[in-house]
Amino acid sequence: MNIPALLPAAADSNSTDILAIANSPVLWACAIGVFLVIIVQSVIYMKAAKTAAPHIGMTQDEIKTSFRAGAVSALGPSLAVVMVAIALLTIFGTPAVLVRIGLIGSVSYETAAAAIAAKTAGAELGGPTYTQAVFGLALAAMSLGGAMWMIATLVLTPLLKRGDSALRKVNPAIMMVVPGAAMIAAFMVLGIAELPKSWIHVVAFLSSAAIMTILMVIAKRVNKPWIKEWALGIAIILALAITYAATRL
Amino acid sequence: MSKTTEMHQALSAFDKTTSRWGRITMIIGLFLSLAAPAYLVFFSGLDIEVSSVLTAFAALAAVFGVIWIVEPLTYFPILGASSMYQAFMIGNIANKLLPAAMIAQATIGVKPGTRKGELAAVAAICGAAAVHLTSLFIFVGLLGTWLVSVIPTDIVQTVQFYILPTVLGAVIVQAIVSQKAPRSAVIALAVSLIVIFVLVPLIPGMNLFATAVAVIATAVLAWVLRDRKAFGAAKNVDEEAIPEGPVY
Repeated sequence: MNIPALLPAAADSNSTDILAIANSPVLWACAIGVFLVIIVQSVIYMKAAKTAAPHIGMTQDEIKTSFRAGAVSALGPSLAVVMVAIALLTIFGTPAVLVRIGLIGSVSYETAAAAIAAKTAGAELGGPTYTQAVFGLALAAMSLGGAMWMIATLVLTPLLKRGDSALRKVNPAIMMVVPGAAMIAAFMVLGIAELPKSWIHVVAFLSSAAIMTILMVIAKRVNKPWIKEWALGIAIILALAITYAATRL
Repeated sequence: MSKTTEMHQALSAFDKTTSRWGRITMIIGLFLSLAAPAYLVFFSGLDIEVSSVLTAFAALAAVFGVIWIVEPLTYFPILGASSMYQAFMIGNIANKLLPAAMIAQATIGVKPGTRKGELAAVAAICGAAAVHLTSLFIFVGLLGTWLVSVIPTDIVQTVQFYILPTVLGAVIVQAIVSQKAPRSAVIALAVSLIVIFVLVPLIPGMNLFATAVAVIATAVLAWVLRDRKAFGAAKNVDEEAIPEGPVY
């Protein structure tokens, strides 16, 4: 089915002009929809908290103070996310970045998911094989992956609420070891798979890892948590600058 | 009406509202987040087969399937039922929402895990969401679009070509630091090197399964070779310990 009216001069499966399709009005509408849903949810939750507060001995002031404390503490992390999101705009387009990186997901999982999806189509993220069709496939995979987290939340929360659920009795040692190892392995194998592609890929990977390591060491030495917060954004931007310099050699 | 029944009623009204509307809003959010790719796959005129979407999803499930289920389990005791529906839609839980909730609780002097603590966390997450939505909308939604349009094409091209190794280099270090599991990290590195530099060149078609094979092999090896002093007796593990890293 084709609706050309909605997509002026776009939708060419083999075109690498991702942004023509990634910034389409339909994707924008969905992204703004997600924003609105979160706003509505927050309003309902605040109202419910304000109504319940006096009955358990909390003043309206304490609720307001909590809101303000949450807002202020989110400033740094939010701007750090913004920085990473901007670096990814040309890969995924604005609406997808807003929803996947900025909101529901996070940069590490979403980029990994997109890379895995592109691979199944024999393509790579960015570059000449990253066509509009591959972008669509990557967005579909990222969104389905994110949906699984939401579905797990929707299914598990009521079960866990019932208290003494059997789910809490899963061997906690497995819970501690296996997911962490799986996560590190996923990022590691995707990262190392980039290395044989070209020496510039090696420069990009190693410089980013090195800058991150330095920032982590500094954060630990001077005990400044804000460095950890900003580290990912700083590492990505600086490593991209180094990589850009390498391409000009 | 006694004080306790009044309190009980107020709290069950709160639970009812938040779980009903939390679920409704999350389901709408879920629908909207799937509507965008559904449009691209079915209506945009792009040539994307449903079977290739399923293949990509299967590859993803092999890698992240465990984490989809484990993360909600991990955060439930910390967030409480009502905040679960907020947290898993707003995202960036570990690096933004949890600190916001903890700072709010400390500011007004209530303990996490109590009902007052839960209300403070809900309000704090609302505050964090307000700031986050505003900054995303202004700096990414409005300014970001403009920024991309003025950046020279050769820089845009560098970003497009090399963003993946750049993101992954930093993310790997972050994951290793936050997981505090050096043994798993070494195993992951060894397995990944073998898969990419030995198995992929040797076995045709291996490329497609490389990620899943490495993840599953690492998970199994990390469990078999775990530090039995720390993880041998399951009871010793601190249930409240959470990964602080780049989790969801």
